[in-house]
Amino acid sequence: MAKYVARRLIQVAVTLVVFQTLLFVILDAQPGDITNLYLMNPKVTPEARDMIRANLGLDRPPLERYVQWMRNALTGNLGVSFMHWPRSVVDVVLERAPRTIFLFVSAQLLSFTIGFVLGKQLAWRRGTPFEYGNTIIGVLFYTVFTPWFGLMMLIIFGLWLKILPVGKFLDPMLWRQSQYSDVTANTVFYGLIATGLLIGLITAVLLIATRNVIGKKQRNLRAAGLAVLGVVAVVAWALSGIGVLALDMLHHMVLPLIVYTLVTYAGSMLLMRNTMLETLGEDYVMAAKAKGLSDKVVRDRHAARNALLPVLTFLVINLPFALSGGIITESVFSWEGMGLTLLQAVQNEDIPLAMGALSVIGILALIAHLVADVMYAFLDPRIRYE
Amino acid sequence: MLSKKRSVVLATLVAAVALVASACGGGPAKGDVYTIAILADMTTTNLWNLLGAGSSAYNFVVQNQYYPTLFEQSDVRFDIVPSVAADFASPLTEEGGMWVCTVDMRNDVTFSDGSAITADDVAFTANLVLDFKLGGNWQSAYDWDFLDHLEAVDADTVKIYYHTKPGLAVHDYGTLQGPIASEAFWEPKIADAVAALEAADLSGLEPGSDEYLAALSPAHEALYAIDAAGEPTAGPFMFKEWETGAYAENEANPEYYFEGRVVEQYANGAHHEYVDGVYDFTAYGDATGEIELEYTTGPFFNSVLYSVYDQDAAVLALLNGDVDYVYNPTGYGTGIQAQLSANADVGTVTNPQNGFRFAAFNFDSPLFADQAVRQAMECMFDKDFFSQSILQGAVIPAYSPVPPEVTFWYNPDVTRFCHGFTAEERMNWAADHMKDAGYSWDVEPSWNPERGGSVEWGEGLMYPDGEYVEELVLLAPSAGYDPLRASAGVFMEQWANQLGIPLRANLTNFNNLLNESLGGGGNFDMLIMGWGLGDMFPDHLCAFFKSDAQPFQFMNYNNRQLDDLCDDFLGETDRDVAREYALQLQEILATDLPYIYIFTNPIIDAYRVDTIEFPFTALLDGIQGEYGLQSVVYAAE
Repeated sequence: MAKYVARRLIQVAVTLVVFQTLLFVILDAQPGDITNLYLMNPKVTPEARDMIRANLGLDRPPLERYVQWMRNALTGNLGVSFMHWPRSVVDVVLERAPRTIFLFVSAQLLSFTIGFVLGKQLAWRRGTPFEYGNTIIGVLFYTVFTPWFGLMMLIIFGLWLKILPVGKFLDPMLWRQSQYSDVTANTVFYGLIATGLLIGLITAVLLIATRNVIGKKQRNLRAAGLAVLGVVAVVAWALSGIGVLALDMLHHMVLPLIVYTLVTYAGSMLLMRNTMLETLGEDYVMAAKAKGLSDKVVRDRHAARNALLPVLTFLVINLPFALSGGIITESVFSWEGMGLTLLQAVQNEDIPLAMGALSVIGILALIAHLVADVMYAFLDPRIRYE
Repeated sequence: MLSKKRSVVLATLVAAVALVASACGGGPAKGDVYTIAILADMTTTNLWNLLGAGSSAYNFVVQNQYYPTLFEQSDVRFDIVPSVAADFASPLTEEGGMWVCTVDMRNDVTFSDGSAITADDVAFTANLVLDFKLGGNWQSAYDWDFLDHLEAVDADTVKIYYHTKPGLAVHDYGTLQGPIASEAFWEPKIADAVAALEAADLSGLEPGSDEYLAALSPAHEALYAIDAAGEPTAGPFMFKEWETGAYAENEANPEYYFEGRVVEQYANGAHHEYVDGVYDFTAYGDATGEIELEYTTGPFFNSVLYSVYDQDAAVLALLNGDVDYVYNPTGYGTGIQAQLSANADVGTVTNPQNGFRFAAFNFDSPLFADQAVRQAMECMFDKDFFSQSILQGAVIPAYSPVPPEVTFWYNPDVTRFCHGFTAEERMNWAADHMKDAGYSWDVEPSWNPERGGSVEWGEGLMYPDGEYVEELVLLAPSAGYDPLRASAGVFMEQWANQLGIPLRANLTNFNNLLNESLGGGGNFDMLIMGWGLGDMFPDHLCAFFKSDAQPFQFMNYNNRQLDDLCDDFLGETDRDVAREYALQLQEILATDLPYIYIFTNPIIDAYRVDTIEFPFTALLDGIQGEYGLQSVVYAAE
């Protein structure tokens, strides 16, 4: 196993170098540079533009810039953003990442959960109106034009019903009040992410520790424990003095979360359905049925668990891409996270920021692949690595 | 003790008196927050960066008003009037090999921290820009190609030294309107940047060369990275807070010198402004007769909130009443305009943009190097028909590179070829004009009166020497980028083809247009682009057309008469003389036609009429050209 991981790590390193090189070549090959923004301004003289190019290092030869880029990238220095000059790319990425991670990891997990549950049911109830109806609805959302759909949701829930905000991740009128002036949005985002992680971790431990619980009373006790955990989290936020800000962010998160979940859940749903259908044809499922086990036990404990692996891989590999954020979702909902930053960087030819953001996503994607490979062996004891 | 009933009566009376008093007081009552939707976040709060590499519309909308200037341009009419200066500057005179000017400053204007704005602050700011050779918009303010240094004669008198004689663009519209920073705040903070500047080895490097600029870069970086928190400013609003990616907020400056200023613009051209008991100033004639515009300067809100939105979300926020105004330099599509118009609480105003769209001729193209052909092309392009019938009034026809709203510099009497002609008259005039210049056709264009009349296209156009004219290329932006200019390209091709000119419109990527024009590619015969103009002084008459004006003059246009006139114009320091030059330049350009000016885009502004009011809305570049008129907007009653 260790040998396998070491070999995979070397592959990851080589892939990373190739990836970084391709990234540089593709982005550097774009015509023009950020000073094109000043090209149409007759008040900014060519000399003044040259000054900006020199400031940003754009006057150096491509090879020199490539060597510099690789050297910096390997030492974790992603350079300086042109748009935010002289702020470092890492600084900008660290500022934007929590907003995206909080929204899109939540959305991915929600989407995965819905997809998993529905996919399982679709396979189990194959050929019924439930399957047809859900498949059609899922595919409809999966193929909908996201900007239009997002905008419609904003119009319906924000403009007409006035129950949800029209974009953004906070309400400035609330945040500008002097008692919150020391609190930044990222402070709250970090707090929410930490809360989510803590609850997730405790829940996972609790579920694993009690996985063999079958009695109704014991199950109720477990559910009560989880509910208490949730209440403790809410009370802790309420006592923190900034609970209202967290609530404001959660309020702003509802629409983008719903939209992103709706347009993506069908992916894991259809994958789960297909894998589950294969699993349902296996002998051990037939054996479980023959033993007289209930449908629920056969479906959930025998078939679904074995069908989970590809779906879980799908989730793990997709998680890093949450960092790029649904670019469209972030744009439509004015959610200034990584996706929107990446889009603005490309539009404004802020090459270091675009490369930095893509590098982070690329590195995380490579790590996710590695994790998925290793996870296979952990989740399925039949898989062994040479 | 007062009884409960009496207390209520007394409280009511006090409230009523307060209400009446506020209604009778000068200017509108103060509102709480003026909320502006911005379509991208700002990126810096550092002044040096703001006008350097960090120049962006969204940085300016928040911070543009922070910094005092010696002089400013009045709203709507763009007259230059004193701001921190006490009166107009002394004339430029030659002194010891330098061109020198003295400006007396008011002695009672302060920064937001209460410290006086002095001549030392002016000299410090300008000299820092000169020492660091700051680029971007800084060079427009303090141009080191002309400016030598500034000197504080005393606290209220600043002396400006030029090593090269400046014109109005450099002096009146540059140095005299440059931002002023607080020396007391910045001086202690720039030590690292100064050290980096001193460490830069510039010896043997040619100023302006890549090596020279690269050597200065660390000093610039150190300067731009300085944290500007707590910087004293002097505008109507000052910085309060910035939550990146979400919003920024400015709060009213209690020390704002011009609060309560009444500005009167007279029909006879006079400008009169005063703050009761503080100062009274009149210029450009006697303040008598009809007043065309009168308004009072605020601030009339406690703060301005700049909320970051995507464009569609910004429109929804406006419709929803979440914001009062959308700062949107990118314009509104037809659908959005309809949505805005349908809402009774939202008002829209349309103003012409300070800029124009044009078709440029390449003078390396033998056909278009001929003035007669360019004039024939201008004649065929029916601007009124194109803007009113084809584009349904979506644009405003343009005849000069100077907008008509810049009344002082605009020449309304420039030659307009075939203006008011019918299609038949245009075709006949253009064909005859080309024939007179020696051109001939296998099939001459002609007018077919049947079915309402149409042009029978010319074919086989030949130069005066009998050579056939080969296919010519017109580059224009694609319809996806700009449907208006794409349409202009298509119609220009059609009208050229009617004359037998084998012009083919190639609607292409905008980067391609940039590369072939400003990038120096030169692979075009005609090219459609547009200019947005920064300020009201028309030095672009030379920046776009003078033979050595690179890279903006990308057509290889060479007109000795225009070059000479430009030299005079750019070097002139008398406004009236400069105006005469500007009028002549416009006539040369209207006759010689290196460009066909096609149209000006309208600027549409949308705001909540139920929450805010502007004292005026008709101005060049619209409300957004003045970044939402933050110092004069007031709460709607």
